[in-house]
Amino acid sequence: MSDTALRTDGLTKHFGDVVALDHLDLEIAPGEVVGYLGPNGAGKTTTIRLLLGLSRPTGGRAEIFGLDCQRQPVQAHRRLGFVAGEAALWPSLTGAETLALLGRVHGGVDEAYRDELIERFDLDPTKKVRAYSKGNHQKVILIAALMVRPDLLVLDEPTSGLDPLMEQAFRHCVHEAKDRGQTVFLSSHMMSEVEALCDRVGILRDGRLVEMGTLAEMRHLSALNVEARFDGPVPDLSVVPGVSAVETDGSLVRCQVRGSIQPLVQALASAGVTDLLSREPSLEELFLAQYGADGRAG
Amino acid sequence: MQADLGLRGRITAPVRADGSPATVVAAVTARKAVRSGVLWGYLFGIAIASSETSYVRLYKTAAQRQALAATYATSKATSALFGPAPQLQTVGGFTAFKISMTLLILGAVWGLLTSTRLLRGEEDGGRWDLLLCGQTTRRGAAAQAIAGLGAGLVTLWVVTAVIALLSGLPSSVGIGAGPSLFFSLAMVATAAMFLAVGAATSQLAATRRQAASFGAVLLGVSYGLRLIADAGLGLHGLLWASPLGWVEELQPLTSPRPLALLPIVAFTAVLAVVAVHLADRRDVGAGMVADRDHGQARLGLLYGPSGLAIRQLRATVVGWWVAIGLSALIYGLIAKSTGATVSGSVREVLSKLGAPGNGAAAVFGVCFLVEAILIGFVAAGQVTAARSEEAGGMLDHFVVRPVSRSAWLGGRLLVALVVLVLSGVAAGVLGWLGAASQHTGLRFTSLLGAGINLVPTAIVILGIGVLTFGLRPRATSTVVYAVLGWSVLVVIVGGFGSVGHWVLDTSVFHHMASAPGVPPDWEANGIMTGIGVAAALVGGLAFRRRDLQGA
Repeated sequence: MSDTALRTDGLTKHFGDVVALDHLDLEIAPGEVVGYLGPNGAGKTTTIRLLLGLSRPTGGRAEIFGLDCQRQPVQAHRRLGFVAGEAALWPSLTGAETLALLGRVHGGVDEAYRDELIERFDLDPTKKVRAYSKGNHQKVILIAALMVRPDLLVLDEPTSGLDPLMEQAFRHCVHEAKDRGQTVFLSSHMMSEVEALCDRVGILRDGRLVEMGTLAEMRHLSALNVEARFDGPVPDLSVVPGVSAVETDGSLVRCQVRGSIQPLVQALASAGVTDLLSREPSLEELFLAQYGADGRAG
Repeated sequence: MQADLGLRGRITAPVRADGSPATVVAAVTARKAVRSGVLWGYLFGIAIASSETSYVRLYKTAAQRQALAATYATSKATSALFGPAPQLQTVGGFTAFKISMTLLILGAVWGLLTSTRLLRGEEDGGRWDLLLCGQTTRRGAAAQAIAGLGAGLVTLWVVTAVIALLSGLPSSVGIGAGPSLFFSLAMVATAAMFLAVGAATSQLAATRRQAASFGAVLLGVSYGLRLIADAGLGLHGLLWASPLGWVEELQPLTSPRPLALLPIVAFTAVLAVVAVHLADRRDVGAGMVADRDHGQARLGLLYGPSGLAIRQLRATVVGWWVAIGLSALIYGLIAKSTGATVSGSVREVLSKLGAPGNGAAAVFGVCFLVEAILIGFVAAGQVTAARSEEAGGMLDHFVVRPVSRSAWLGGRLLVALVVLVLSGVAAGVLGWLGAASQHTGLRFTSLLGAGINLVPTAIVILGIGVLTFGLRPRATSTVVYAVLGWSVLVVIVGGFGSVGHWVLDTSVFHHMASAPGVPPDWEANGIMTGIGVAAALVGGLAFRRRDLQGA
């Protein structure tokens, strides 16, 4: 029995001269919910296709519960469920037929849970796939993955096309999966979703994993946002050690502080601060700090 | 001010805008249709040129040409298959007889597949929605798309005509510019009609497959009516009920009748207008023919990829079986009467067509070449359907579950193999039924063997398709239909003996014995089956080792 749900060692993929994924080393423990972030083209979907055996690696290897993703795909796939953000289904089948087919192919369907999911996601299974909206299409794919209660859920933009209510239903399902000890690998552009669901987050840039850790760990790497209001003259905080990005708006000062907050607290106290607000950076801010405000790799 | 799209340094070629915003649909459709028209026009032209050249080389003396004319003038079998054979003592008469029916059917298939792909296929893929967001309406977009298809048709005709014109110039051939242009026009007439058929069925049907199926039924009925009309059964008037019959009535290169263009032009124009009119009266993405959006779950075949493949393909396969079975039945019905016309000199000609022997068996031998071509199309359809499942992303759903790629492909191939064998059996059994009803004297086992004899060539086509699927998946459809088209062309053009043996050998049909005219060559069949299986195995291994690839 493997003590890792998912592991990659130097996983690499080239498309001609383009390096889509560069020596990815990743380890996810059973029961963890891990977010996987990166802009378009960073290599997220390439990673997932390599994990699923849909693409062949140029170098390195990947394992799911100790099973080699390339050499033992059938055994590995018995233990996973996959949701793609954009996946075509068979237009002439109804939702119920699609779920029956995919359930039979995978095996181990929890029928009561499937019916509950159909109700929870408000899906009409008698409708043909070609008549489904994009959101309903996505619901079928989600239910098909969740209904077999796999040990590992690999989710690639899973809430694409879902309305806010259904997104909430999805989050509830992920929490349930986590409570049951299932592992979740979630690739998403929705920072709020990742922030709400994930124990750890990895950030991918140009095919390389540039950050990996819990949100708390990552926040230590980033600046703390501080807002202070004064009833007297506004001090020059830019000279305080660790302080940067100082903006003054009348009696209000905004700045960021890295490392120890002690020098800033002393400077504020001596200047007669009347109101103080400090806020940890959101995941979105952490992500943008990695890529720059324009969303491009910096 | 130009927006910075962050693409600086990444674009090496300028992005071209096609035409004005108001005609972009026409331009986009025309670009695809013209590209296809060039390729098919070249094939049409080469077929015409080859036929003219082969006649000049093979039948050098007036006596040889008269003998040929005497042979076919009375042959009901060849008349039913290829149309009547007047003036075979001339290059023009021979060319018109030999390749017309093949080109007319290929033209109809090209027209139907091109228009359903560029109209309904674009709509199914969601790209039509994007185009309709531009400066056009549903009606305008349909009219533009039909105009774009028209550009493809004109290209097909021009390329065909240029080659036909050039090949007709030598004094030994002696076909003038006017007759060459008119003959080329006749050869693309079915393409025009079935472009319009496809445009109309694209409005009626809910999916591209359904639209193509509607058109295929019309083509099958059209061929059947023409076949009966030309079979010497006293039903010649049926010719006017068939679009293929109207083209036959043009009689290009023998006694041209341009007035027969009227029904062709009228049929094409009316269907084009109907298509534009219907496009305005329906929702984008929906068809005029009511299609149920809800249904009770029918889970019978949905136990895995193979069961799903059977369910998805059964309507198409049954359609092919009906076409194969009915045509075999008709061959059986006419074999005795046409076989009675076979005598000394005729036997020699049939022998050149690959069916030595005499009487009904020899006629069957020639007729079953058509059955082999049909079964070849079935094989090509099976492998392209597998590729479509990968290109569309549906295959992902299986291989991310506990289904290996080998199991998926193996299941598909097993289904394909059963379909091919049953196609051969259908040809043999239905052919025997027709022949037995006319007391032809051909044994059941003989015709069943002749039917099964058709399968190995289809297995070769299937194997080549799988090999391409494994190595160059995006080229699967192009390669498999090119192999099939080439094989048909070579066996028909080369059947008259003027083509080198090494060229003939490139046609899979050349290696098939013309049973029941001659006994099936089981050794050759074994080798062909072996080649097909080996190619499929190599393709399967390559498929296991490559990335899955979208469209």
